[in-house]
Amino acid sequence: MARTRHVIVGGGTAGMNAISTIRRYDRGASEIILVADERPYSRMVLPYYLKGSISESHVFTAPPTRLRTLDVEPFIGRRAVGVDTQINTLMLDDGTELPYDNLLIATGSSAVRAPVAGADGSGVHSFWTLEQAQGVIRGITPGCSVVLVGAGFIAFTILNSILALNAQLTVVEIAPQILPRMIDATGADVVTRWLQERGVTVRTGVQLNAIEDADGRKRLRFRQGEDVMADQVIMATGIRTNLDWLEGSDITINRGIVVDAHMRSNVPNVYAAGDVAEGRDAVTGEAALHAIEPTAMEHGRIAGANMAGQSQTYRGSLLMNIVEVLGLEIASFGAWDDADAEVMSALRPERPAYRKLLWHDDRITGAMILGPARDIWATNDVGILKGLVQSGVSLRDWKSYLRGNLFDVKRAFIAAGATGRLLPQTVLGRPSVAAESVAVQ
Amino acid sequence: MKVLRITPQRCTGCMRCEIACSYEQSGVFQPAKSVIRISPFEAHTSYAPYTCTQCDEAWCMVACPVNAITISPVGAKIILNDLCVGCKLCTIACPYGTMFYDPDTAKATKCNLCGGAPACATACPTQAIEYVEAESADWLGSFAAERAETQLAQQA
Repeated sequence: MARTRHVIVGGGTAGMNAISTIRRYDRGASEIILVADERPYSRMVLPYYLKGSISESHVFTAPPTRLRTLDVEPFIGRRAVGVDTQINTLMLDDGTELPYDNLLIATGSSAVRAPVAGADGSGVHSFWTLEQAQGVIRGITPGCSVVLVGAGFIAFTILNSILALNAQLTVVEIAPQILPRMIDATGADVVTRWLQERGVTVRTGVQLNAIEDADGRKRLRFRQGEDVMADQVIMATGIRTNLDWLEGSDITINRGIVVDAHMRSNVPNVYAAGDVAEGRDAVTGEAALHAIEPTAMEHGRIAGANMAGQSQTYRGSLLMNIVEVLGLEIASFGAWDDADAEVMSALRPERPAYRKLLWHDDRITGAMILGPARDIWATNDVGILKGLVQSGVSLRDWKSYLRGNLFDVKRAFIAAGATGRLLPQTVLGRPSVAAESVAVQ
Repeated sequence: MKVLRITPQRCTGCMRCEIACSYEQSGVFQPAKSVIRISPFEAHTSYAPYTCTQCDEAWCMVACPVNAITISPVGAKIILNDLCVGCKLCTIACPYGTMFYDPDTAKATKCNLCGGAPACATACPTQAIEYVEAESADWLGSFAAERAETQLAQQA
């Protein structure tokens, strides 16, 4: 009997986690083909490459030796252009046809630029792929002025790096506040003030109209207020799932690919994981497009286990983000912007520190934490808040205490028995193993 | 495997574990750098040492985008400093609040069981922390719940 053939499309977090999970179970019994348009690397660490704190070689997650260890046949530099689910065949951009038994779609997202005149001009960058990161590195020289268009999570991950390269920085955002999909307006005010006090110009509620060339520099025109001059422009104006290539296929797509609790699409031998998959949100129980690294990792592992013949049900992932700017730590978890939740918040402007807990009955379903890195890591409440949301532990006895003591969450966590609820939880129903211990036999 | 078994009833809150841990891990006597932390209960009359249980899921390890966390020969989840870039994903992935970040080194840090000879257990004068063959467990939950009752009643 022929070996089962798994074809993985996409070499990012979801795809690589699926591959190592399949190999963990089958130790090489199946055939695995990886189709990836770039050499696999971690986007998460690109800001550190930009900053110069790690070398380029550090970003790669699956060098050829690793792929050989996992017995993966790579099609690197190739893109999938279509799939025929009737005959179980994937089509590549060079005309190659790859028959499969199981297919995983993990094609991720791409950066999109706001549709303004001049957005595709010279000196205007996106920061999403390794190649784009290299473009930004070439563009930024000490003392130059950089405008970040968009003040979302991606923009904030590279803010420290740009400043570390001794550039002057202006951040412009169309929404009334920075980080609109990560923190609330109160938190955003604290962060904005922090940045302004450290020499970063922040303009919110402004819509970019055009980017023009002006004597070798760039002039940014806005619907509101003055023009801004810059040497380099980085557009961090959003991402879009890479699903165009599935047009005309039988795979059901809503905002992303619709999947069941096994990360399987409507076509039983086609799975989806990562940014393209509408997996279950652990708090709401609803399908959601998280487009974050930890969710892609969990999707990939669940898909891989099921592709390897296990029946592994997905309990859902927790939406979460953390980013630090110039020594100020910012994190949020779960349904942090839920209008139906009961809210407790506390602000200490002099630190500055800000906390917010969102409740449904006696359970915390969302949380926000913000403060100087040295404070945050001395208390280490970041993980505690994640655990309170993830465990869904009842804080009945502690709720009224916490209302007046939002900075004392750890004792509530311990006394409510959160650890006891969390210890049996594993994503794959068994202990995790270290990546390097997975190899074919 | 051998784990850190905590018996909070024996803890006097002397902080020797935090001092020993910070020295072993960072070379300084500085509780803020300790990866075992004492939580006070009953208005600082009882205490519970809290640290990583080396949980089965290893939320930190699986979350790391560059495989900078692995499992040591004694079963501890450990950071490989050469590989850690300091992205902090592990700190939000760990639901126990036992994955730390050191702003001075710009790297994640956690309990590594000191390679099989935990300094906290050695330093503890009352055997509240012991390094023994056992299953990981919630060592503190019921103790803390009982100790918290009085205080919560007063607040109500």
